[in-house]
Amino acid sequence: MKFRSQRVAYLFFATSMLLFTLQILFGFIMAFAHLGFDGLHDIIPFNAARSTHLNLLVVWLLSGFMGAAYYMIPDEANREIYSEKLAIVQWAALNIVGVIAIIGFQFGWWEGRKFLEIPRELDYLVVIDVLLFIFNIGMTIWNGKRFTTTSIVLFVGLTAAALLYLPGMITFDSQVLDSYFRWWVVHLWVEGVWELIMGGIMSYLLIKLTGVDREVIEKWLYVIVGFTFLSGILGTGHHYYYIGTPDYWLWIGGIFSAMEPLAFLGMALYAVGMARAGGMKHPNRIALFWTVGCGVMSFVGAGFLGFAHTLPQVNLWTHGTLVTAMHGHMAFWGAYAMVVMAMIAYAMPRMTGRKLYDHWIPEWAFWVSNVGMMGMTGAFAVAGVAQVYLERKSGMDFLEAQKAIEIHFFGLILAACLLSVGIGLYILNFIQYGLPSEEAVSPGAA
Amino acid sequence: MLSKSQARWFFVGGTAFFGAIFIFLTVDSLREIPARQNQDQMTAAVVRGKHIWDRNNCMGCHTILGEGAYYAPELTRVVERRGKEWIAVFLRDPAAMFPGQRRMVQYDFSPEEIQDLVAFLEWIGRIDTNGFPPQPDLAPATVVASRSTSASTAARPAYFDTICVACHSVGGAGGSVGPALDGVGNRLTAAELDRWLEDPPAVKPGTAMPNLHLPDATRSELVSWLASLK
Repeated sequence: MKFRSQRVAYLFFATSMLLFTLQILFGFIMAFAHLGFDGLHDIIPFNAARSTHLNLLVVWLLSGFMGAAYYMIPDEANREIYSEKLAIVQWAALNIVGVIAIIGFQFGWWEGRKFLEIPRELDYLVVIDVLLFIFNIGMTIWNGKRFTTTSIVLFVGLTAAALLYLPGMITFDSQVLDSYFRWWVVHLWVEGVWELIMGGIMSYLLIKLTGVDREVIEKWLYVIVGFTFLSGILGTGHHYYYIGTPDYWLWIGGIFSAMEPLAFLGMALYAVGMARAGGMKHPNRIALFWTVGCGVMSFVGAGFLGFAHTLPQVNLWTHGTLVTAMHGHMAFWGAYAMVVMAMIAYAMPRMTGRKLYDHWIPEWAFWVSNVGMMGMTGAFAVAGVAQVYLERKSGMDFLEAQKAIEIHFFGLILAACLLSVGIGLYILNFIQYGLPSEEAVSPGAA
Repeated sequence: MLSKSQARWFFVGGTAFFGAIFIFLTVDSLREIPARQNQDQMTAAVVRGKHIWDRNNCMGCHTILGEGAYYAPELTRVVERRGKEWIAVFLRDPAAMFPGQRRMVQYDFSPEEIQDLVAFLEWIGRIDTNGFPPQPDLAPATVVASRSTSASTAARPAYFDTICVACHSVGGAGGSVGPALDGVGNRLTAAELDRWLEDPPAVKPGTAMPNLHLPDATRSELVSWLASLK
């Protein structure tokens, strides 16, 4: 790494790895409950496991984004982080808020609004923490010698993500309005500004890993994030079909969300195209795997599988079924988990000075976890489609239909075991790298 | 060929343009939502029910308006499906209603809280949701023919159709958790039925049937009808 303060990214990455592990554990609790083994019901009921699973995801991805920003922005701005101390404080605060939230969930301290379960008191701490982070990153860019498109896109994405957290903090008495503005946060995050963050990180990695001209990569970055917002903003309409909102959202949401896969297709073609143009010569092949894999899997999960149930005439039947879980798992994995893992795979050798990428462990970690996630998506897909036909189309009682599709959760657990092995290998590799080292700091490094 | 600054303008311009449309549509939606959600029917009880719903993270298992988790039933039209009385009985002791099946947390709601939740769910059910959830459009594989020929002398109590049918069937219609009750009058006397309904677990410890704490009038109405099913 070029600057000593980039090492602070390690703390965020380590937090990500730990929380990801916990997220998987809570996922298993839910999968077993679906299978009929709800032995933990009295201690960790399904709704507690579910909120924990979702919020661990959000926090570990945010932690990963923050780590990525702390690694990437000094490199792009060509200076040390504005304040490394502040970064450490902000990391510690994020962890404290996260831990309190997760423990609170187990005692029913929550808001009961999907993805935004963190109680209001903690929301304020989250906002303060994110402001500190943005201030630190912003000052680094501002005082830096260089403004690059990737860092601007990343910064705009992070700032917009913070701003969009606010509509989720309004209290409503009406379920309809509550839901309406909840999607301002959730949808405009994952199908909007988070894609800026993902695009910024991915472009940085492509520049570093392929050797393709920065100008070319950054130009296409604008085109892709342009498509993201062109489709994604009005694509929010696909959440406004059936919640008590006017019916014009049926066609507006339908048309624009049908265009959302284009942005993800662009992302996939972009990653594959740039990697091919660069000739895949970079020694850290595994970081390139994760980067290109991220482009491809985000298209499959977010683009293709999202499209599979986004049209109103399909969504009328699939809305609120396991079909959503099918899309959700692969989408978050492809778009956001993988981009964080790509960044970690790229940054670790540079922060520690150890080149542990050319080895079976990271390579198997990549393939096994991806095959595992594909298997999980398949299990959710079969269970979801069967649920739609049994319960929604034929009017079978909910519990009876659940009984009929129970076996697919066995398949889900098998695939999840595979994913866990892959993630376990990835984390093993992460631990093998050890801590960032002074010796790895060299001003001449890319 | 597209230049980088053109690409930047495509991004900035597109975002501003579609962002503006989105804001405009939001303003319009906010104007239309009060009528679609029957704002005039949003009583204090409905609002209290909504906050009970949030406080207990019901969305962590159920879906409402199709949003939430997929572990427990969709509740948008639950009042239409089950009736208010059934929901009130169910919420008193959820596990008792579906013994041995997927469990709901025992919340120990007060009777007032239950009324608030029912009011909330009733209000949700009347929202204009553009047709969600849809009616099933595939015919069930087999149509159950009514095989009840019981010449019943007493009138079928309404309570039976709101509560009991969740688990028991008569004439092939109803739940399958408890035994079918066709011809139950041949198997049990009115006195036995009465003792059973008063407190099932006392008669048969470990039975899946809960004590429903039926008012005497309801119980005797049920007993006389059940005894007549021969």
